Amino acid sequence: MSTRRHVLVGGGVAAAATATHLRKHGFDGEIVLVGDEPQPPYERPPLSKDFLLGTTEFEEFQVRPPAWYDEQSVDLRVGIRVTAIDVPGRSVTLSTGERLGYDGLVLATGVRPRRLPGFDGDRVHYLRTAADSQRLRAQLAESERVVVIGAGFIGCEVAAAAVGLGKQVTIFDPAPTPLARVLGATIGSVMTGIHRSRGVQIRAGEYISELRHTGDGMLLTSNLGHRVECDLVVVGIGCEPNVELAAEAGLATDGGIVVDEYGRTSAPDIYAAGDVAAQYHPVYGRTIRVEHHDNALRQGANVALNLTGSAEPFAEAHWFWSDQYEHSLQSVGRPADLEDLVIRGSLEDHDFSAFSLVDGRIQAVISLNRPRDVLEVRRMLFAPHEVTAEQLRDESVPLKRLIPRSPWATARA
Amino acid sequence: MSSAITGQWQEAMHLDDLWEGEMEGVEIDGKKVLLVNIDGEVRAYKNRCPHQAWALDEGDFDGQTITCVRHMWTFDALSGKGTNPDNCELITYPCRVEEDGTILVDVR
Repeated sequence: MSTRRHVLVGGGVAAAATATHLRKHGFDGEIVLVGDEPQPPYERPPLSKDFLLGTTEFEEFQVRPPAWYDEQSVDLRVGIRVTAIDVPGRSVTLSTGERLGYDGLVLATGVRPRRLPGFDGDRVHYLRTAADSQRLRAQLAESERVVVIGAGFIGCEVAAAAVGLGKQVTIFDPAPTPLARVLGATIGSVMTGIHRSRGVQIRAGEYISELRHTGDGMLLTSNLGHRVECDLVVVGIGCEPNVELAAEAGLATDGGIVVDEYGRTSAPDIYAAGDVAAQYHPVYGRTIRVEHHDNALRQGANVALNLTGSAEPFAEAHWFWSDQYEHSLQSVGRPADLEDLVIRGSLEDHDFSAFSLVDGRIQAVISLNRPRDVLEVRRMLFAPHEVTAEQLRDESVPLKRLIPRSPWATARA
Repeated sequence: MSSAITGQWQEAMHLDDLWEGEMEGVEIDGKKVLLVNIDGEVRAYKNRCPHQAWALDEGDFDGQTITCVRHMWTFDALSGKGTNPDNCELITYPCRVEEDGTILVDVR
């Protein structure tokens, strides 16, 4: 009797979640987890926050302790890449030259930071891996003036951490309001205000057009002709999905590895999960790629279900958080229009939830320091409900009361 | 993870103030304690999420599961074991309910 073997490509939380859930669902064949980083899978959120601050150690955010892989008979191959997939031959080639046959193949190859041409060198940082974060942490310790290029989540979180370490921080972003692309102008302005009140210089509508290395630092020139000297640059301008392996094997890609609601790619027995997967979402009726921790965990777990024979579509709500200073920013759902939000609470007090509401249904909520609201919306988001903007604004109406009580309404926990 | 019973029971609350399906944060001997009533079974945990030490009483309890709202970690309220992620556990304090409904907790 031959043993079945599932090969999981990518050493992040999606692959680790697949491994965990394959065992949970009773799969007793071989599991090979191949990751190109030197460490076993770990969580990435702390890399731009606590890990930079030095308040958490690497061991604390490993997905599983190293011994777990032995205990669960998960063959962990770290520091190794998969270089090719032979679809008809149902096998992969590793960077070691070894060929591995598979019954199921999961591509969880993640994303890589988008690079700015010409922005390289010892003092220029891109942040994705633990090694990136370690290098940044070490250099932050001996730097004073930090420039962050790109006011997205990574840029803002790094800025918050650097300020926490007593650094002078300047953020450049070509958009008029930082974070507006993901949070809308109203909340983007609130977040801008928080950073400014902590001493971060925010140069909105301005970008760096030239970087020159000097003897002991860098001289940056902006598109407006302003010059800034600094010791360290962090570039956080988004990511690109690692689709090459899949594309070269002839799998369908379109801004990610294209998968259906079961995580299946265009090739038989090959799945994709996590940041790299552009997945058809049955609730939204379209293909969406999500770069968030929670989504990677859930998709990884879902693929394990489908590999063990219980076909379950992935129909989860998208949830994420971003911790900046003492503030907890969270969101669930997909906003219809970021410039049309119903505010519950106070923007000034940094204590609010902003709802995207269409025809009486909540599409999404973005909360600052109101994580309970996010939890409650997460439960009702895909369940039938009807609310008005007035009810949402009125804090005397508990959100809980808006959750449908009818027995046929399946509230998602 | 459980603390050993030292026999130093201290009054935490009265059962009348902790209904089934409720949780409540209290302070006992300088320690933050979370009391939970699961269908009449009372448990006492350290009121800190093992993830980032967030106060659990600010979270959610649906009768079975405690959710830390900071990053949505969930715990089985009866056992204190993590359900998502499943490789963590709340710190348990010995806890018992007297006949008159006084909830006693041993935090030493």
